[in-house]
Amino acid sequence: MTTAVAPPLLEDTKLGPKAGGFYRRQNIWTGLGFGIFLGFVAWVVSHATIQGSNWGSDMVVTCTMLGWVIGFNVGMGTFNAPIRWMLGHDQTHEDELYAAGVSQGSSRYFKFCTDHKVVGTQYLVLVMVLFAVGGTLAMMIRTQLITAHSSFLDPQTYNAIVTVHGMVMIIATIIMVSGPFANFIMPIMIGAKDMAFPRLNAMSFWVVFSAVPCLLATFFLGGVNAGWTTYAPLSVQAPPAMDAFAMTIIVFVVSVTVAGVNTIVTVATMRAKGMTMGRLPIFTWGSVVGGALGLYAMPAFLVVMTMMITDRATGTSFFVPEMGGSQWLWENIFWIMGHPEVYVILIPPVAAVLEIASTFARKPVFGYKVAIAGFIAIASLSIMVWAHHMFTTGWAPNLAGPFMITTELISIPTGIIFLCTIGTLWRGSIWTRLPMYFVYLFIWNFIIGGVTGIYLSDVPADQFFHGDMFVTAHFHYTLLGGAMIGATAAVCYWFPKVTGRMLNERIGKVAFWTIALGIQVTYFGQFWEGFQGMARRIAQYNPQFQTANQMSTIGAYILMTGWIIFLYMMLNAWRRGKIAPANPWHAKTLEWKVPTPVPLENFVVDPVVTSDPYTYGEGVPDGQVVPEFAPTKEPELVPAGSAASGEPTATGGTN
Amino acid sequence: MSITTTDHDDAHGQDDGAHGDDHGHGPVVEGAENPGGPHETGYKRDQKERLMLWLLIGGDLLFLVLEVFTWFYLRTLNTSGLWNGAQCTTASPCTDGLGNPITSPIAKADPKHAIIIACLSILAAAFVWMSELAAKKGSAKRSVAGWAGIALVFMLAAVAWQIYQFQVLPFTTIDGAYASTYEFFMGSTLAHLILMAFVGTGLWIRAGKGRYQGGTWYRVRLIRFFAVWIAVSTTVLVVVAALFY
Repeated sequence: MTTAVAPPLLEDTKLGPKAGGFYRRQNIWTGLGFGIFLGFVAWVVSHATIQGSNWGSDMVVTCTMLGWVIGFNVGMGTFNAPIRWMLGHDQTHEDELYAAGVSQGSSRYFKFCTDHKVVGTQYLVLVMVLFAVGGTLAMMIRTQLITAHSSFLDPQTYNAIVTVHGMVMIIATIIMVSGPFANFIMPIMIGAKDMAFPRLNAMSFWVVFSAVPCLLATFFLGGVNAGWTTYAPLSVQAPPAMDAFAMTIIVFVVSVTVAGVNTIVTVATMRAKGMTMGRLPIFTWGSVVGGALGLYAMPAFLVVMTMMITDRATGTSFFVPEMGGSQWLWENIFWIMGHPEVYVILIPPVAAVLEIASTFARKPVFGYKVAIAGFIAIASLSIMVWAHHMFTTGWAPNLAGPFMITTELISIPTGIIFLCTIGTLWRGSIWTRLPMYFVYLFIWNFIIGGVTGIYLSDVPADQFFHGDMFVTAHFHYTLLGGAMIGATAAVCYWFPKVTGRMLNERIGKVAFWTIALGIQVTYFGQFWEGFQGMARRIAQYNPQFQTANQMSTIGAYILMTGWIIFLYMMLNAWRRGKIAPANPWHAKTLEWKVPTPVPLENFVVDPVVTSDPYTYGEGVPDGQVVPEFAPTKEPELVPAGSAASGEPTATGGTN
Repeated sequence: MSITTTDHDDAHGQDDGAHGDDHGHGPVVEGAENPGGPHETGYKRDQKERLMLWLLIGGDLLFLVLEVFTWFYLRTLNTSGLWNGAQCTTASPCTDGLGNPITSPIAKADPKHAIIIACLSILAAAFVWMSELAAKKGSAKRSVAGWAGIALVFMLAAVAWQIYQFQVLPFTTIDGAYASTYEFFMGSTLAHLILMAFVGTGLWIRAGKGRYQGGTWYRVRLIRFFAVWIAVSTTVLVVVAALFY
C-alpha cells in the first residue's frame, strides 16, 4: 500500500454568496407552495373549460394532479439544470458543490441535494413513512375482518383501503432497498465518488415524493375500489380517484426508470480501479439486475396506465369491449409489468442477505458466480411468466401449459440462490448479531413463500386457490416475509454506516421475535382461510371463516407491535444511539473502509482494489481463528470519523 | 477486499475496473464544453451519457413495442366489430363511446399527415447529424449553430403539424379501437417531438454560444442518437398506422 497526503475535505470548501443560484432559494416549502399553486391553477382552468364535457371530472383530476407534480418539481429545483442547459448557462463547480449540500447542514435533507448519501437517507425516511401509511391501512383491514359482519368500515371504504394499501406497499417495496442502499451504499461499495448522474438521482427521489400525495388524494376523490391490479373494466368505471391513482403510477414509473438507468450506468462506468465485474460485491449485482429488470417492466406500467387515463378522460376504448377494446389487453400488459416487478422487489434484498450472510459467517459468498447467474436467470425467466396470473380468466387456455412450465422453471434459479445463502452460512463461524437474526427469518419465510408459489404456478391447483386468501398469504410471505425482512436485515446491517450510530440490539431482538411471531400467526391464519375457500378483498364473510380471521388479526396486531418496537429502536438510535465505529462488523467491502460519517465524494484519495470482496480468513492456517473475527467480543466503539479496526482505510490511515 | 490508496499514476498494470478514462485514451478530448465535475474527463462523461441514452432508448423501445402490440391485438380481436367498424351497418349498428349508433365504417385517417410528420422528424435528425459533422470538423460555431437551427425548424414544424393533424382527423377518440389507438400513436409522437424540440432548442442555443467548439462534438452526437431514435419511432408508427387499417 502506498499512501498519499490527503487533500482537504470538500465539505470544508468556502462557497461564494451566489453559489447554487436558484437552488439557494428552493427547498421543500417552495416545492409544496409551487405544487399547490400550479395544481390549483390547473384545477381552476380545467374546471372552467372542461368540466361540462363528457369526461370532465376525470380530465380535471388528471390536469390537477399533473399541475401539482410539475409545480412541486419546479419549486424543488428538479428542472433547474435542464433549463439552464437549454439556455446554455451551465452550472459552475461552486453551483454543483452547493447542490451537493456543501455548507448547508441538515437543511440539505429538505432540498434538491445531489449527494448520493443524502438521497439515500431521504429515500430511507420516505420508505419508512410509506410503510407506516401502508401498515396503518393494513391494520384497518385486519380490524374490519376480526368478525364476520363487522361494520368498522363500509364496503366501499374497505375496498378503497385495500387498493391503496396494496399500491403503497408495492411502491414502498420497490424502492425499499434500491432507494436507500443502492444510493447510499452501492456507489461506495464500488469505489465511486457519487452516482453517475447526481442530478438525476435527486430527481428520482423528488419525483417519487411528489407522487405520494396523488395516491393519498384518492381517498378524497371517491376512493379506488378496484384492488391494486385495477383491472379493467372496474378501473374504467371507478370514481375520479382512479385518475389520481393512475397519475401516481405514471410519475412513479418516471422515477424508477431514471433510478434504474442511473444504477446501471454507475456500476458500468464508475467503478474504482481494480473493481472488475468479478469483484463486485453481490449486493451491487443484485442492484444492477433489479434496475435492469425495472427498466424492462416499467414501460408496460406506463403504457397501461396512460391508456387507462385516456379511456377515462378522453373516451378512448382500449379496455371497453363494447367499443372495440378488450379487458385482456389490460391484463396482458399489466402482468407483463407485474410479474417482473415482483423480482424488481425481491432481487436487491436477496442480494443484501447474501452480503450480510457472508460478513457474519466470515466466509465468501458460496457460489458467487452461480448466484449472479441465478439473479440473471430469474430476471430473464420472469419476463416469460405473466400469463400465470390469468389462468382462470379464459385467456388462451392453450398457453396455460407453457406458462406453467416457465413459472415453475423460476423455482430452479431461486432454489440455487437459496442454496448459495445456506452454503454461505454452512460451517461458518457465525456471529449472530441483529442483521443475522433477520437473515434467518428471511430464510424461513422465503421458503414458505416460495414453496406455496409453486402450488400457485400449477394450473389445477391455481384453479382452486385463485382469488382466495391462500394467494394473499403466499405473496405476503414472499414480499413481507422475504423481501421486506431482507430489507430489514439490510437496515440493521448498514444503519451504522448511514447514521453513524449503533442500533440497540436488546430492543432489536425484542422487535425481531415479535415480528417473527406476528408474521407466522398472521399469514398461517390466512393460509387457513384460503384452504377453507375464503375469497380475497371482501369486507364481510361467512362465519365459518371467523376463527382463522381472528387468528390472522391477532397476528397482525402482534406484527404491528413488532414494527413499532423496531421503529422506536431506529429512531431512538438515530438520535442518541452509541456512536458507531467505521467498521463495526469487520466487513471487507469498501463502504466499511471509509470513515463514518462518510465524507462528500466518499474517498479523499481514489481507492485501487487489489482483491476479491470476501477474503475472510485468507492466509490463515487451518484451525486458527481468523484474526479480525472475535465473535464473543463487542467491537470497540470510538467516535464517528475515526477508525479502530486496524484495517487500511481509503484515506491512507488505518482503522 | 484489499485496497491501496494511491493516485492513478501508481496503478498502471492493475486490472482496470471501469476507470480506464483517466489516461486520456479514447476518441474524445476535453474542450470548451464543461467536461464534468473536477474528477471527470470528457471521455468519462461521454461514456456515461451514451450508456444512459441507450438504456433510455431501450425503455422507450419497449413502450413503442407495446403500442404496436396494442394496435395488432385490438385489430385482430376486433371486439364487437369495432376495430374500425367495418361490420357496422344501419341494420346492425355499433355504438360509440357516448352510446350513439355507428352505421358505417370509421373513416381511415389520411396518411399524408403522418408521412409528412415522419419526414420532418427524419429531416430534423439529418440536420442534427450535419451539425455534429460540422462540430467534429471543427467548423465555426456559426456553421454548427446554423445546421442546428435548421434542425430545430423541422422539429417545431413536426410539432405544429402533429397538433394540426389532431384538428383534421375524420374521427374522434370515441369511435372505436382504431380511432383510439391511432390517436394514442399521435399523442405519443407529439410528446416525443416536444421533448426533441426542447433538446433541439438547447442544441441551437449552445452551438451559438460555441459550446461545441474545441473537440466536444460528441455532445452533439448524443443529441443525434436521440433525434435518429425519434425519427425511427415516428416512422414505425406511421408505417403501422398507414398499412394496417
